[in-house]
Amino acid sequence: MNKVKSLFRARWMSSLIFLILLFLITGIADPAFLNYSSIISCFNTATMYTLLAVGIAFVIMTGEIDVSIGSTLGLTAAMTGLIAQQGGSVVKMLLVCVVVGAFIGLCNGVGVAYFGVPSLIFTLGTNSVVRGLIYILTDGRTVENFGGAISSYGNKTLFAGITVYYAIAVALVAISHLVLTKTRKGKYFIAVGDNAGGANLVGISVLGTKILAYVLCGLFAGLGGFVFASKYGQVMTVAGNGYEMTAIAACVLGGISLSGGLGNMVGAALGAVIMSSISRLLVFIGLPSTYDNTITGIMLIVIVVVDALAQRRSVEMARRKRLLSRTAEHTPEGGAAK
Amino acid sequence: MKNLLKKVFKHWEVFLLVFLVLEFVVFGAANPKFLRPKSIMNSIVNYISVCIISLFVTLVMITGGIDIQAPSIIGLTSIIIGVLWSDAGMNIWLAVVISVLVAALCGLLSGFFIAYCGVQPMVVTLGGSFLYSGLALLVSGMSATPAYKGISGFPAKTADGAFVGFRFLGKGEIFGIPTQIVIYLLLIVLCMWILHRTKYGERLYLIGVNPQAAEYSGINTRATIMSTYVLSAVSAALAGTLLTANVNSAKYNLGSGYTLAIITAVVLGGTLNTGGKGSILGTVLASLIICILRYGLPLCFGVSTQNLDLPVGIILVLVVLGREIAGQGMLSKWFRRRKS
Repeated sequence: MNKVKSLFRARWMSSLIFLILLFLITGIADPAFLNYSSIISCFNTATMYTLLAVGIAFVIMTGEIDVSIGSTLGLTAAMTGLIAQQGGSVVKMLLVCVVVGAFIGLCNGVGVAYFGVPSLIFTLGTNSVVRGLIYILTDGRTVENFGGAISSYGNKTLFAGITVYYAIAVALVAISHLVLTKTRKGKYFIAVGDNAGGANLVGISVLGTKILAYVLCGLFAGLGGFVFASKYGQVMTVAGNGYEMTAIAACVLGGISLSGGLGNMVGAALGAVIMSSISRLLVFIGLPSTYDNTITGIMLIVIVVVDALAQRRSVEMARRKRLLSRTAEHTPEGGAAK
Repeated sequence: MKNLLKKVFKHWEVFLLVFLVLEFVVFGAANPKFLRPKSIMNSIVNYISVCIISLFVTLVMITGGIDIQAPSIIGLTSIIIGVLWSDAGMNIWLAVVISVLVAALCGLLSGFFIAYCGVQPMVVTLGGSFLYSGLALLVSGMSATPAYKGISGFPAKTADGAFVGFRFLGKGEIFGIPTQIVIYLLLIVLCMWILHRTKYGERLYLIGVNPQAAEYSGINTRATIMSTYVLSAVSAALAGTLLTANVNSAKYNLGSGYTLAIITAVVLGGTLNTGGKGSILGTVLASLIICILRYGLPLCFGVSTQNLDLPVGIILVLVVLGREIAGQGMLSKWFRRRKS
């Protein structure tokens, strides 16, 4: 049990070390980077991706995938903008974001877990449907010029340069992390992803856990939509397009296995910071932003390949050890085991 | 009636064919203009990249993998052709060959990581889509033409308006049928032959059903899996070439946003994303269904072209749900009968 624990710890530690290394390399290239405000702004700009990555991490841990969160973010952002245009209150916006996001998540969950449609296919479908809803809702126009308090919230800092949004996101990460590691229900997510059949046998509701994971994922994407609207002040119809891939990449960087059952929330949050600060760091290193995607791609591939090789090695070692101990037990009986 | 329904769901392609014919009937009745062969062929030409790539992604998905990097290879191919031709002054055909080779190399790289290092296909090709679209942007930076403009002016158009040489690929006609559709038909035949008539195709299915059993029965599963990614990358290069010739512009971001469309076509065609099941005919029918839908809805029912995601998405969701609900009982029965 201790070994498993240390493995988990190592997985998110490695992404933390990677992030620190990234900061250090940037710092060596341009010492001007190494001050509190530029580092903290790397974290602040990661708010949206942090929310998306933590949400999708629930789903990925149960062994499924959700590619509809980009559209969900776009839809809730557009709704937030429309409410703001009509002068609605912030509470109403948040409520709408949460409810709409959770509802889309519920649809995904029911389709995937109850009807047994492969998750990639089903969420692809809902992705198109939700994207279409954005067009209908906004008449294909960009939602902009929303006044009121919402556009000023994005820059408000809580303390020491940390924005209110990022502080809330961090709190949510901490809560999800504690729920996942300390509570019985939270551990179900990992259990279902690791071995759905086994989880079912010991009395865990696989169906309920998967649906809950999707609902949480949609809910976090909805919150991401609110942050998007408040941060940019305008919502195009293609808002959030492709964000799902960035969120998945963030999870992978954070050490969450796409086959489920492995990983934790802190890793996802750190992965999101890495993904969103790459372009900012490149500027400090002195490369033009055209290198953005190339570096991200190389980094992603290198990390997953190294991870896969290391994992294969450890599995191989464990198997060898098991085999050795078994043969050692059976030798005295003179090969009768066969 | 019940037997008929069972048969239809047993043979997914039959259902797709019925759906396609229904589309023609409904759209044709709503607006006779719809049935002009020229416009129908044009609508297919507009969607040709998705049609072509989905053929080869079917092969990838039958082995249990997935390829989401193909659209970024479209852009990479396009910009390589453009830069080699306009800035390096190379022969256009040589440029095409080089870009296809580069694409094959891209597929080989991703395929190697998937097959030999055992990384999940989705993750590697996700990284690949970042990497290759990034490379495309870097290549476009080498050109004297600004990236957003796109390199244009490809050869050649004769004085009387006929397309020859490179542009013939994109705009020319053979016996009144657009060249692109002729190439598509040839590729369909090629893919069907590969998948349904060769040993290689049989191996793909076997790997999809049970990779370990395939390995133990003497199939080089790793090389086979890797080869499917090379094939799909080459098909993406082909699509990129055709697209460049058609729009007469080489751009680094051509084809971005096709990712989900390609997967939708393959999946709607009845290919399981867990591998081991699927057919080329299904993929072809599914991509035609989506294509005709995107062409017919604006023409006959005045749906705005921006708004096409919704109906396509709804149909995808309904179809997969319907198949799952209707098939749950029947499929298992069918399997039992098969086994006994």
